[in-house]
Amino acid sequence: MKLSKSFAVALAATVVAFGASAQSDPGLTDKTIKIGMFGPLSGNSMAYGFDVINAAKMYYDKVNKEGGVHGRKIELVVEDDRCNANDLLAAVKKLVEQDQVFMLNGGGCSSAVVGAREYIDRMKVPLVMQAASGDGALYPPSRYIFGALSISQYAVGGSIVEFASQYLKAKKIGYINHDDAYGSWNLEAARFQAKKNGVDLSVESINPTLTDVTAPMLKIRAANPDVLLIATYDRPASLLVKKALELGFNKPIVITVNGTADTKQLAANVGNKDAFKNVYTQGLLADVPGGPKLKWVYDMYKSYYPELAAKPGHPTTYMPEGITPAKVIVEALQKIGPNPTREKLADVLANTNLDTGITAGPIVFTPTDHAGQKSAIYMKFDGESETLLPGVYRSSWTYAPIAK
Amino acid sequence: MTLSDISLFLQQGVLSGLSTGSVYALLAIAIVSVFKTTDVPNFAQGEIFMAGGYIALVLLAAGVSYAAVIPLTLVAVGAITALFQRVVMERVTSSKGVGVQFVIATLGLAYAIKGLVRQTGLGDTPRSLPALVSSDAVPIGDAVLTRLDIAIFVAAVVVMVLIYLMFTYTRIGKAMRAVGMNPRAAQIVGIRLSRIRMLVWAMSGVISAIAALLITPKVLVTPDIAHIAILAYAAAIVGGFTSLPGAVIGGLVIGVVENLVGLFISTNAIVVAPFLAILVTLIVRPQGLLGGKVQVKKV
Repeated sequence: MKLSKSFAVALAATVVAFGASAQSDPGLTDKTIKIGMFGPLSGNSMAYGFDVINAAKMYYDKVNKEGGVHGRKIELVVEDDRCNANDLLAAVKKLVEQDQVFMLNGGGCSSAVVGAREYIDRMKVPLVMQAASGDGALYPPSRYIFGALSISQYAVGGSIVEFASQYLKAKKIGYINHDDAYGSWNLEAARFQAKKNGVDLSVESINPTLTDVTAPMLKIRAANPDVLLIATYDRPASLLVKKALELGFNKPIVITVNGTADTKQLAANVGNKDAFKNVYTQGLLADVPGGPKLKWVYDMYKSYYPELAAKPGHPTTYMPEGITPAKVIVEALQKIGPNPTREKLADVLANTNLDTGITAGPIVFTPTDHAGQKSAIYMKFDGESETLLPGVYRSSWTYAPIAK
Repeated sequence: MTLSDISLFLQQGVLSGLSTGSVYALLAIAIVSVFKTTDVPNFAQGEIFMAGGYIALVLLAAGVSYAAVIPLTLVAVGAITALFQRVVMERVTSSKGVGVQFVIATLGLAYAIKGLVRQTGLGDTPRSLPALVSSDAVPIGDAVLTRLDIAIFVAAVVVMVLIYLMFTYTRIGKAMRAVGMNPRAAQIVGIRLSRIRMLVWAMSGVISAIAALLITPKVLVTPDIAHIAILAYAAAIVGGFTSLPGAVIGGLVIGVVENLVGLFISTNAIVVAPFLAILVTLIVRPQGLLGGKVQVKKV
């Protein structure tokens, strides 16, 4: 049977068009690359998302003003995940399926972002997290998910033991953590670090809702450690510092980032400056809040958002953490070249080693470890201000898959 | 563990437990008062407690002096609970509602309060109220309590005594007991049931607010602090759900047991201890320590 000439031309054109579109991932045009962002923009946890996303937006805008990435401007679609797993998954699905984004850059709440892992793996869309540590989605590693650009819980535990043994010269360490997933992760790395450094670890694990911390604090005091490490959330951390003073525990106390989101409130909750004679806090940025190394970030925020910057409580503590993943993404896209694909992006991200100047340590992704930031700085906190101590303390823990 | 450790743990565990337990006892009294008078277990008691803390915080943030914040908070919480009884619970009663419908109504109140608290803009950040008494340490034997701990215990005991005196010697108190024993008979002798129920709910609200003002400087307040009601329920069950003195004993027992379990068994087990106490009570003496005869009622 002879095909008519016009039919043959139409058929050939269809095949060419189909072939061309099959080679190009969603979210890409000649002029734009679409990134889907999500985070808690409302509700009680908006501190982990609102200004973090604002920071990312301002960085992407700066890149666009400088010409974009290989001639493509970065186009953003932003969704509110309200820091809960259901809303986060709905936001991610919308970004991927309706908005057809090329990649995802979001997630301020670890417990929520874990819920999207299976979908992201199935859809093969690269995700670079924002403020979330996201340990539950990072181990075992997924090809497409990159996180802990703030710091992972494993690194929190390993780093604080490193600081206690190296800077405070502790041989016997008291460690109070939570009996939840977060607590088990930071404890695993703390134990690893303690064994590596040859120090004893005396552990008390408490429920986050505990009303009376007399029992754990008294047991720690009875164990007579050289240092007490507190790896709990804000409320228990405040109660433990208070109880330490009441029980006459005068050894150094170091509080992880989990419990120091707002040091002013910590001091107000403890209510007695004497409790802070020997207290240290962990930080994951390159400098103390307001310090010279991060001045450019806050100046940039003020110039982009002058009205917000004038309001009390802005920018929020976590704001700089929006820039780190944006920098990592832009660098990866630059490396890929003018023909990016999702698979190429996953490959390039898995070989990242970038000092963003924002976090305590560089962002390092490897094919077997997609948790980016493993270092912390430490500050002496006297109840009013934080003084940066020399050094950056890195966790030695690495992921080892369970043998089958 | 050495003998001196054991002695220290016992002394500290009991003394600290009595202080915290006295607050559980106050909340348990609030729960039992409502239950005795209206036959309704109030599942919003924790949220009412939380609301007391947040109302005080909001007033402080608005620049009101703490001397005024205290009475204003008590009045506000009492008014909210009285209004809830008058508007919602009376409606359920007049619609011939049964037990589970009352319980659902209290659950609705719990969610409503939690939602409203989350609109205050205070976020999830744990916050404290000013302590009326200093936290200076007071050695008692080998143990240490703070002046605040002692004040909490003393204040709680004073409130409990006042409630006991009210129930025993005042007309209102006797009317409340009468309504609890036999509402129909109380109505026949001229007691206005709706007024008494409203007063009981108001009283339970005020007691919860007192508990919040006492203990917030010690445990801090967050939107999730309402879980403390679980401990109050454990106290009420252990002490006897129909006995006010039982609620007091139950609260103190739970406070002490939490600490002793944490000190001698494991800190992981602290949160489990109240539930174990409930289980043991239900098996050994289901009516509680001072709950009288076992009664089985259809809900």
